[in-house]
Amino acid sequence: MTDTVAEICKLLEPFNTVGTTLSPSTDISTDLNIDSVTVMDFVMEVEDHFDIEIPLNVLSETRTVADLAKVVEARTKKG
Amino acid sequence: MVRTPRSNRQLPQLLAPFATLAEGLDYAAQGVTGFNFYSSRGALQDVLPYGLLRRRALSTARKLLSLGFERGDRVAVVAETGPDFIVVFFACQYAGLVPCPMPYTMYIGGKDAYVERVAGMLRAARAGTVITPEDLLGHISEGAARAGAKRVLTFSDLQSLPEAATKLEPFRADEQAYIQYSSGSTSSPKGVLISQAAIAANTRGILRHGMRITQDDRAFSWLPLYHDMGLVGFCLAPMMGQCTVDFLATTSFARRPALWLKLMSDNQSTITYSPSFGYDLAARRINGDAPSLNLSRLRVAGIGGDMVRADVLQLFADTLGVAGFRSAAFLPSYGMAETTLAISFVDADAPFRIDSIDRHALKTEARAVPAKGETARSFVVCGKPMPDSVVEIRNDSGQPLGERRVGRIFVKSPSLMAGYYHNEDATSAAVGSDGFLDTGDMGYWLDGEMVITGRAKDLILHNGRNIWPQDIEWAAEHIEPLRSGDVAAFAVEGQDGDDDVVVLVQCRLQDEASIESLRHAVSAAIHRSAGVECRIVMVPPKSLPFTSSGKLSRSAAKQKYLSGEIAEIMQPVFLQAAQ
Repeated sequence: MTDTVAEICKLLEPFNTVGTTLSPSTDISTDLNIDSVTVMDFVMEVEDHFDIEIPLNVLSETRTVADLAKVVEARTKKG
Repeated sequence: MVRTPRSNRQLPQLLAPFATLAEGLDYAAQGVTGFNFYSSRGALQDVLPYGLLRRRALSTARKLLSLGFERGDRVAVVAETGPDFIVVFFACQYAGLVPCPMPYTMYIGGKDAYVERVAGMLRAARAGTVITPEDLLGHISEGAARAGAKRVLTFSDLQSLPEAATKLEPFRADEQAYIQYSSGSTSSPKGVLISQAAIAANTRGILRHGMRITQDDRAFSWLPLYHDMGLVGFCLAPMMGQCTVDFLATTSFARRPALWLKLMSDNQSTITYSPSFGYDLAARRINGDAPSLNLSRLRVAGIGGDMVRADVLQLFADTLGVAGFRSAAFLPSYGMAETTLAISFVDADAPFRIDSIDRHALKTEARAVPAKGETARSFVVCGKPMPDSVVEIRNDSGQPLGERRVGRIFVKSPSLMAGYYHNEDATSAAVGSDGFLDTGDMGYWLDGEMVITGRAKDLILHNGRNIWPQDIEWAAEHIEPLRSGDVAAFAVEGQDGDDDVVVLVQCRLQDEASIESLRHAVSAAIHRSAGVECRIVMVPPKSLPFTSSGKLSRSAAKQKYLSGEIAEIMQPVFLQAAQ
């Protein structure tokens, strides 16, 4: 597990009401059964934590924790 | 950068006496008011006074015409909250082209659903041209290719075109104005064609009878500009009354709902609007910051777009009372894209009213009998129809009903749509030969005001969104081994008055592991396409009821589910253990 994945999992834990084991392959909206409003809460946490903005078009192609980690890593390097 | 002032000192305020949108902008452009846009962190990002909007719209109209359009051609444009979209919308008004605002929303992992939706919308409007922000170019191009739309331009591509040397001929009073997509299903969306006469009449009603706009007003909106409430209520109507509007993008509101309240406090806003769920989100997120806000000037806090929920309004009023918010500011209203926007408003100066009626009499006798306590259900009274419109509440045989009789709501008004674009069947199904629109909603009369009790259609209301059960069923039926007709989706009333979504799935599988994996796959597919959390119930094959014409009967399926006649085939693990 990379550092980014671990950090994302930590941020995701409060939203993990179904008690799934979080891993890089966890599908953020479907495995955790959280609705679109709550997903945005989590995305905001990620943005604040890493101090980045994730545009919607990028978000729409992001499904798993590993996908999101890739997005975060690409954007933190840029900054 | 300086935001536009609250009002025009030199230019007299005229509340939409105009025959067309272009005429309205010609007048507003003589003043100093206009639109301001805030960033996701709450900083002022763009300022677009009506004068500048008009100049940019005229120039952009000539650039559009350099592409060789014919009058009345449709131009689809992604309605991102910002100057680019609004400039193109008004450029179309001056160029005699019909703009079709398209959504800028997506869910996490929702790309495919978005592309499909865009393609459906382009087909419905027969639009050959799409204009998009740079960041959505990839998604929009895929959608355009699927729909056979030949030309995709970014906003900056459009601006780099040469201006055609032709004379501009803005839309006249007897022509069309724009296409608004109704909350139709993704697979076959409907384009509501709105005429200049309809938008002129509706904005006049909103400004004069609904919000009662004055020189002291300053509006605030985070509503999406591809929805009727955001486009008509908080962009076109304010412009037709030369009122200044401060905008926060919907996506920014979704991330930081409390920013809405903070910016309204900073701007001393007097008018805003939201579905119930927006007030709910903002009240929950403001945390300890409420005392630092000043919402005392907010005189209209409009509510529409979903069932107005009394408990949510109470929570908001309780939380924000310390900021000077008065619950008399709440303005319940009722409307839909098919009537341009507004149908009825509560008196802006009066407090809102709640009517509590007996649940049983409502369900079994279609009567609204006053009641209290556990058997009662509360509804917010949604006001009188606007003066130029006629509303009838009819029973099943078409007879108009009197006080406290629940029936279907029909509307006739100058704001009625011209029809669903190129969809004769859908238009004649919605608008009768008597000129009345069947709203598909149920309600009753109370002292001349309308009370809305729910949808007659199978529509599901969730977090202020209309979700078509067909969309959920369609997403689920694509999962192997399910087939068309294996899935029924419907809403059941949840604890808090919002809808819970139940999805019945006919399951031929036997072993527990494959049933659970199917349940998971169905849930995932629905999440991706509709962004909604559902209760997935696996039911035996051939248990879903169909009508005599072979159509799935969702209402019968729901009844059988609620009565226990159809039930989950898998016992939950803890129950098995107990047995």
